[in-house]
Amino acid sequence: MKILGIESSCDETAAAVVEDESRVLSTVVASQLDTHGKYGGVVPELASREHLRAVVPVVRSAVEQAGAALEDLDAIGVTSGPGLVGSLLVGVTYAKALAFVARKPLIGVNHIEGHIHAVVLEARSGGQEIGYPALALVVSGGHTHLFEVSERFEYRLLGKTRDDAAGEAFDKVGKLLGFGYPGGPVIDQLAPYGDPRKVRFSLARMKGNPLDFSFSGLKTAVLRWTEARELDGELAERRALLRRTPRPTRDQWLAVTPQSTLDLLAAFQQTVIEELLRRIERSAGDIDAQTVIVSGGVACNAGLRKAAQAARLPYPVLFPTPGLSTDNAAMIAAAAFRKFRRGEFDDFALRAQANLTLA
Amino acid sequence: MPSTRFETASEDETIELGRRIARELPSRAVILLIGNLGAGKTTLAKGIVEGLGAVAADEVSSPTFTLIHEYSPRVCHIDLYRLETAAEVATLGLDELFDRDAVVLIEWGERFPEIMPEDRIEIRLEPRGDQGREILVTKP
Repeated sequence: MKILGIESSCDETAAAVVEDESRVLSTVVASQLDTHGKYGGVVPELASREHLRAVVPVVRSAVEQAGAALEDLDAIGVTSGPGLVGSLLVGVTYAKALAFVARKPLIGVNHIEGHIHAVVLEARSGGQEIGYPALALVVSGGHTHLFEVSERFEYRLLGKTRDDAAGEAFDKVGKLLGFGYPGGPVIDQLAPYGDPRKVRFSLARMKGNPLDFSFSGLKTAVLRWTEARELDGELAERRALLRRTPRPTRDQWLAVTPQSTLDLLAAFQQTVIEELLRRIERSAGDIDAQTVIVSGGVACNAGLRKAAQAARLPYPVLFPTPGLSTDNAAMIAAAAFRKFRRGEFDDFALRAQANLTLA
Repeated sequence: MPSTRFETASEDETIELGRRIARELPSRAVILLIGNLGAGKTTLAKGIVEGLGAVAADEVSSPTFTLIHEYSPRVCHIDLYRLETAAEVATLGLDELFDRDAVVLIEWGERFPEIMPEDRIEIRLEPRGDQGREILVTKP
């Protein structure tokens, strides 16, 4: 059985064909990173226009690369939320049109559920069993959510950010320090060259639900750190480097980043990782989790992966491969399989829902 | 333009001030929340959104990436931090939101004054020490 997935909730237009819930036959992502790099973030007007331009060729090449034709598909899954309405609409409308023309069932998928299914998909294709209940941490630029996941894929929200998402904190700190967009990968690359003990950040103290997250205080602490120092020189050098080279290498960044700033990056990254791991450990204990799933763009962070491994937790901690961590459509197709089996189809009244929730 | 000055000593007090401000708002208003990173714009928004009866303060988070959080048909929270030009902002469909009988909170909206309605409320936030904030509310 083959399902085509389509994703356009934020900055990526993506399509993929997945077979039997385990084999990714194709996964195509029209990365808009180069367009956005110039603007310091995901720009919705560009995003919406880019989605419109990209959706037809991206879907076509996903179907072709899968060695399939439209009639070979068993269903079409599409992200219906959460996200930007204008961007979601492009994918949803195109999926409806395809489903209508090819007479295929249509399945609306929650983007966050998709992220969780990226890990389920890869576990299945690797022959690895996921034990339930599982704990899922979905952590990206827009989300920082902890869910309990039952064997029937019912979700219970355990905690979420009350202010900035973890990826947003990475991005804002990156921009603040002149590393451009996206800041996370650069900070992750440079953090190993700094000494995290040289800068002290305190962990967030949560009133109420201790499994909620807060990264706004940490962001502000980095801002205060920069204000207390004379950084104009190094900031100008890094911005000049970015103008010369859209994607500087690690060594090019190191050449324009003094040790004190590297130490700051290391301390910042270590603090974010500690916030994430502490809540994973605490909530996994609370629900007696058999598996922990970490997904979303921040799951690419090498420091986080290393720290999760070094913590020697009593349950497997599964991360997706980098291509399935960030937004992609294979995860949307994977989540659509489960709904297909349960007969949960949508009709042409399927709407793009900006604030769709999972639990 | 009449301005009122407030001082808060903690995050909780800033949220409480938001609830108080909410009580005096008309059902239709555009409110610019103005201040640097970490000034407390989202914190004050928590109080206003809760005070308007949309959702609890803990449910209000930063819309930086998502751009628009619609907490109810009558309360939404927008962040233009990542946008560079008025043309980009225009495509968000803000006019449609402004025409609604709704309270629209906007962070970083002062960067696009030509798009913002004239009869807007402006709230400026500035840190005073570690936790304290000075908050100036200017009504049209």
